[in-house]
Amino acid sequence: MKNRNIKIKSIFILGTLIVSFGCKKITDINTSPNNPSIDKATPQVLFPSGVLSTAGRVGGELDILGGIWSQYWTQSVAASQFKTIDAYNLQRQDLNGSYNELFSGALADYQLAITKAKAAKLDNFYLMCTVMKAYTFEVLVDLYDKVPYTEAFQGASNLNPKFDDGYTIYKGLLAEIDAALASGYATAPVVAADSKTDFLFGGDMDKWRQFANTLKLKMYLRMVNTHAADAEAGVRALYAAHADFLDDDAVVKVFIDATDQRNPIYAYTVFNLGANDLRASNTFVSWLRANNDARIKNYFGTNTPTPIDQGFYTATQAQHPSYYTATAPAFAATDPVYFITKAESHFLQAEAGLRYGVTTPKTEFDAGVTAAFAQYSLPAPTTGVYVYPNSADLQTNLKAIIYQKWASFPNSHTLEAFFDQERTGYPENSAIYSLDAGYIPGQWVYSKNGVTAGRFPKRLVYPDSERSRNTNTPPEVPITVPVWWGIPNK
Amino acid sequence: MAFAQNKTITGIVTSQDEGFAIPGATVKLKGTNQGTQTSNDGKYSISATDGSVLVFSFLGYETKEVVVTKNVMNVALRLSSKQLGEVVVTSLGINKAKKTLGYAQTTVKSEVINQSAPNNPFGALQGKVAGVNISNVGGSAGGSTKIILRGYTSLTGTNQPLFIIDGVPLNNSTSGSDTNFDFGNNANDIDPNQIDNISILKGSAATAIYGSRGSNGVIVITTKKGKSGKPVVDFSSAATITDVAFVYKPQDVFGQGWDSHFVLGENGNWGPKYTNLLQPWGAVVNNTQLLRPFSFIKNNVRDAFDHGLDLNNNISISGGSDASTYLFSYNNIHSNGILPGPADKFSRNNFTLKGSTVYKNFSADASLNYVAKNGNFVATGQGPTGIATTFYENLLQIPGSIPIKDLRDYKNLYFNVDNYYTPYAENPYYSLNENGSHSKSDRFYGNINLNYKVTNWFTLNFQQGADISNMGNRIWFNSNAPTPGSWVGGGNTEGQSRKPDVGSVEEDNFQNYEYDSKLQAIFNKKFGSDFDFNGLVGTNYNDRGARSHGSTIEGLAIPGFFNLSNSSNKPTAFETESHRRLLAFYGQATLGYKNYLYLTVTGRNDITSTLATGNNSYFYPAANLSYVLSEALGLKSTTVSYVKLRGSYGETGSDTDPYSTLNVLNSTNVPLGFGNLQFPFAGVPGFSIANTLYTSGLKPERVKEYEVGGEFRFLDDRLGLDLTYYHKIRKDQILNVPIAPSTGYASQLINFGEVKEKGIEIALNATPIKTSLVKWDFTYTFSHNKSIVTSLPPGLKKVLLAQDGYGGQFVAVAGQPLGLLQAPVPSYDPQGHIIVDSQGYPIAAADNGTYGNFQHDFVMGFNNSVRVQNFTLGFTFEWDKGGKFYSGTADLFNFVGADPKTLYNDRNPFVVPNSVQRVTDASGNVIGYKENTTQITEANVDDYYYTTSNKAQAWSRDILDRSFLKLREVTLTYSLPKSWVNRIGASKASFGVFGRNLITWLPSGNHVVDPEVSNYGTDLASEYGEFRTAPPLRFYGASLKVTF
Repeated sequence: MKNRNIKIKSIFILGTLIVSFGCKKITDINTSPNNPSIDKATPQVLFPSGVLSTAGRVGGELDILGGIWSQYWTQSVAASQFKTIDAYNLQRQDLNGSYNELFSGALADYQLAITKAKAAKLDNFYLMCTVMKAYTFEVLVDLYDKVPYTEAFQGASNLNPKFDDGYTIYKGLLAEIDAALASGYATAPVVAADSKTDFLFGGDMDKWRQFANTLKLKMYLRMVNTHAADAEAGVRALYAAHADFLDDDAVVKVFIDATDQRNPIYAYTVFNLGANDLRASNTFVSWLRANNDARIKNYFGTNTPTPIDQGFYTATQAQHPSYYTATAPAFAATDPVYFITKAESHFLQAEAGLRYGVTTPKTEFDAGVTAAFAQYSLPAPTTGVYVYPNSADLQTNLKAIIYQKWASFPNSHTLEAFFDQERTGYPENSAIYSLDAGYIPGQWVYSKNGVTAGRFPKRLVYPDSERSRNTNTPPEVPITVPVWWGIPNK
Repeated sequence: MAFAQNKTITGIVTSQDEGFAIPGATVKLKGTNQGTQTSNDGKYSISATDGSVLVFSFLGYETKEVVVTKNVMNVALRLSSKQLGEVVVTSLGINKAKKTLGYAQTTVKSEVINQSAPNNPFGALQGKVAGVNISNVGGSAGGSTKIILRGYTSLTGTNQPLFIIDGVPLNNSTSGSDTNFDFGNNANDIDPNQIDNISILKGSAATAIYGSRGSNGVIVITTKKGKSGKPVVDFSSAATITDVAFVYKPQDVFGQGWDSHFVLGENGNWGPKYTNLLQPWGAVVNNTQLLRPFSFIKNNVRDAFDHGLDLNNNISISGGSDASTYLFSYNNIHSNGILPGPADKFSRNNFTLKGSTVYKNFSADASLNYVAKNGNFVATGQGPTGIATTFYENLLQIPGSIPIKDLRDYKNLYFNVDNYYTPYAENPYYSLNENGSHSKSDRFYGNINLNYKVTNWFTLNFQQGADISNMGNRIWFNSNAPTPGSWVGGGNTEGQSRKPDVGSVEEDNFQNYEYDSKLQAIFNKKFGSDFDFNGLVGTNYNDRGARSHGSTIEGLAIPGFFNLSNSSNKPTAFETESHRRLLAFYGQATLGYKNYLYLTVTGRNDITSTLATGNNSYFYPAANLSYVLSEALGLKSTTVSYVKLRGSYGETGSDTDPYSTLNVLNSTNVPLGFGNLQFPFAGVPGFSIANTLYTSGLKPERVKEYEVGGEFRFLDDRLGLDLTYYHKIRKDQILNVPIAPSTGYASQLINFGEVKEKGIEIALNATPIKTSLVKWDFTYTFSHNKSIVTSLPPGLKKVLLAQDGYGGQFVAVAGQPLGLLQAPVPSYDPQGHIIVDSQGYPIAAADNGTYGNFQHDFVMGFNNSVRVQNFTLGFTFEWDKGGKFYSGTADLFNFVGADPKTLYNDRNPFVVPNSVQRVTDASGNVIGYKENTTQITEANVDDYYYTTSNKAQAWSRDILDRSFLKLREVTLTYSLPKSWVNRIGASKASFGVFGRNLITWLPSGNHVVDPEVSNYGTDLASEYGEFRTAPPLRFYGASLKVTF
């Protein structure tokens, strides 16, 4: 009997031990060994993540959208991946990924990095993250018109952020850039170890200031149609303050031909989709040919590319045999992703000079053309459309600038050409199709399979990922309606 | 010595017919008042002398008197009334008289499990138990079996039942499996030959003692044990031939080509009508071409496959002395599947060693099992883009006039990488032979069980279980590059070239472990003549987890050499760990009154490691009542032999996965849409805010369920009916709710949402014929289950359960049946006309429309056994009616113009019937509609059937009726006469032939795929359907069983 009691006792003690020690220990094992907790985040790990998130989307899927809608490329007859883009048939289920990634990837990371940088008095990261945030936000505003801004990134505390109109967001972003520029970034040099995390300029803060100024210039010029006074005042203020602009490319050049390290549009269209979808568009090829533009080889890998007329992916082999051997754009795994090129910076300055006389437009135009050709190690031509018209007519000069911008954007950041056309009307919309007699090379033609009754696309509709989850999403607007700064439909 | 000495007699009381230990049986010393009751494991001990007589009795059994001759007296009682005496295995592996249970319980016996020699425990149970849905989701040996009890109630958590083997939880993970590969679920590893019985507990009252692991029902497996006596050798051997049970049926009118023209290199059936005239086909090689009639080849797809062979051999040796028993068994499964070559070879070896011993009041038993699996598995679904293509996708893209069987010679001049007939797909046999996967796993599981009988009515029990497995998988895709200028390299008539496959190698390792300790005190006592009591209290500590790591390289430097070193690319690696603990205290008490009224209450308190401290302790109560009416009223007539009414209520739960309460960062991976950017980049690491937002206030999901039912037996047990109605609510569902990207996150993990489930289960048993020569038994089962989503978080219109790659979704919507299939639909004008675009194609509506839900209206089983002398014929039908599923096979089947649905209007130009076009104003706003006259031209008829160009209508062809009727099983067994058997020194022998999944009938709208297959896993998502997965199998074979 005695023995038995000891046994029962020991079992009871064992039980008590399990309970008292077990309970405490039991909850000790729920910190993930797989992921660092969020309070361990630093600007040094968030900022490069954000930059490649922006590059991955603006230089990837959105580059495809911009490239087709800017009529550099069109859908091939033998595949079908981008038919919906080429037919202007994008609906709320389309392109969700880019919207999601830019908001919950790039921008969320920039936002947290800004908070962390401010707290740690890392003003250099504060400026870098602010400029990238503004750059990325602007892409969303220009595509979607209104997006959440003042109430964005609040996590669980605001699951239905309100949408701000584009003009408010622009002004907010410009103010954020100004605040960052007013910080002590210049006196807070990037330490050597951190300079590697800056894929654009290796921690050169002067270049970040120039990028900030150039971005501001671009944003002010966007507003010339609908907020002319803001645009003019903004540009003049920049020049009055002797703002310096980029004389280099703001570019990410980290891509190599290795698993998940490839240039985004290459990875998307060539590596994963087998280069079966994008083909040279006759709109762009005809313009390059008409002007003997040597970049044709850089853009299409051959001096004699075979194009498809925009959107005519339904043609049969009997109708258009050449379509079936059409040329694909020349992408490489190691291609950089440009945010703003040196050429674009000069063309923006040329437009500023043209509109407000703040600088000499011809000088900037020439610098732009030179830089655009130098991007492909080519000498700039000195005749024809490559010469600044110096006309008394603003539109003639503007047309020359915008055409040169258009010709410089493929294979780098095509969306910009699409935005420019919506803002300036150049290249002009052709009244006839590119197969018709009398077609003027370079003019944009309505897609052969367009579903919008002859109207060109001007924006995107909100993705299902936002619309179905945010009750504040505004009513859907047809994709043929210009965004807030576009030339209004007639 | 003149007086016989008193000594302690021990032993175990079992049911002779059922083989179970009988708890609560009365043991009396004849002629005295001394007596005792057997414990929960049927054991007793009593003081007696040699020569005295022990009287064993138990309600429902014939009383037996035994003269004491030795110290251990094991006694088997014979049934008097089947229902009153039936003893079954309940939760925690405890045997109880079935009449005391206030909930539905079904036992499946070894013979039923093994009569058609399946290589897993569940392969032969389809259609046999009401409320148990079993499907073979993949067609491969070693692939997964999906088992769902009642229906689905957890939206995004698990709906998998808990598997218990001999009292210990069994790991049922599906490590490494995805839409490309199914490496099997671990519960399938159990050697079916060693199973004595499976007890299925579906409702929460039955499973509440498992608390936060019991919400999806529990499958309690009891394995065979050695028995006292001379050694017994059981031997069984079965050979099973497998072939394809169902393949898609292409149209036989239009042949190879595209845009209504014949094109040599096209992978579609969009060409002209078959002419049956001899013509060249395939690549032009050295100015020569193959010739064959331009005609549809019958059985082309079926002939792509071979017959497979499964061998199932088993031997076990068991026996024991009075005090100790032993059992050793070995089972070997060897299988080569229906695909030519070793691409789907599978083998499994199971070793089991068991033993038990009794010493005075102490008894111990232990079991150790080792399972070695080795298998090759073929990729299904869509291959990894840019790396390789899969057999099944390539197979679908072969026009009807191309002889698939010939392509097996994939290195032949006309069928090789350079000269395959099309640049748009690859030779399926290239994919089969050059790509593949190999999975090898080692697993140990077992338990040690110690019992100490403190007094006659009180036993202490300690059980330690372990289940440890280690699996290594290798997946390889060979590289190839068509030679530029060759047929596939651009030399075809369309000038298209196929991009090279860069190939890849992946090496993964998965370790799973689960340790389960249980300490419990078991009580069993009778009070007076009217009341008896049994119960237990216990504590359970469970520690389980998984570690996995893997590496992948893409881009092979040397083709055909599959090693992580063989690439210029650095390997990408991953590692994940998951570890959780559960501490529980539980108790159960059953109070019986006069052998006809039983009340059982249970309670369990769980403390889990996966929820935040202070928020991680939860109590789960349950109660059930059983009332044996026939006994209470003293009904003794043979017309009504047994009536029992039962009712129960129980609560169970389901906690979340580890690491779901704290917000984290991820190593940055930027999805590109196609492809990714993965840090580190240029030597710089990157971390990004994880897309899921976590909260520390998370609770377990909670299930509340009540159930009422009855068991009725008539005509001397020749007619029986078991009815159950249940009502189950699962609330506080742990949902990863998508939130607007503008919040900075993609989703938030919260408790919200409720699913209500109601259902009935009917089992009708009858023995219409019973003579000495012929006996016919059948069981008819019927179940109907409806799950409704009753609430979702505010503002959340739907929960995404699964999706295809094109825009179709499987969702939960509040107020709707669980599992709606929603996909693009056409938009309609106010008059109901389809709105088409300027090209004449329907415009997809802004929002997805609902095509139906996955749930069956009912599931019926009809299970028969007809014995004529020594022959027994068994056959089982299963009819599942209603519901919808998505088929990714149908999608590609339409794209290539193989679906008979593409024959509409004989492929002549047509205007979409009843369609209009929009009239718009200057800014593109719709101001009206006009009649549509734009034709879908002959050359564009194909575009009408693509998902990309006619999104609005594609899903109307891809979402199919889920109904099927199957002849699940036919068995014919011949028991060899005893006289013959004895001549070879055996005691029992039988020979059988059998078939499973023999005939499948599908509704007329489905020419494409068996609705049971899926490569979307084995849980709720799998009910969305399939994406170009493997076909199901048909089995037929023969078996021999001998007992020496």
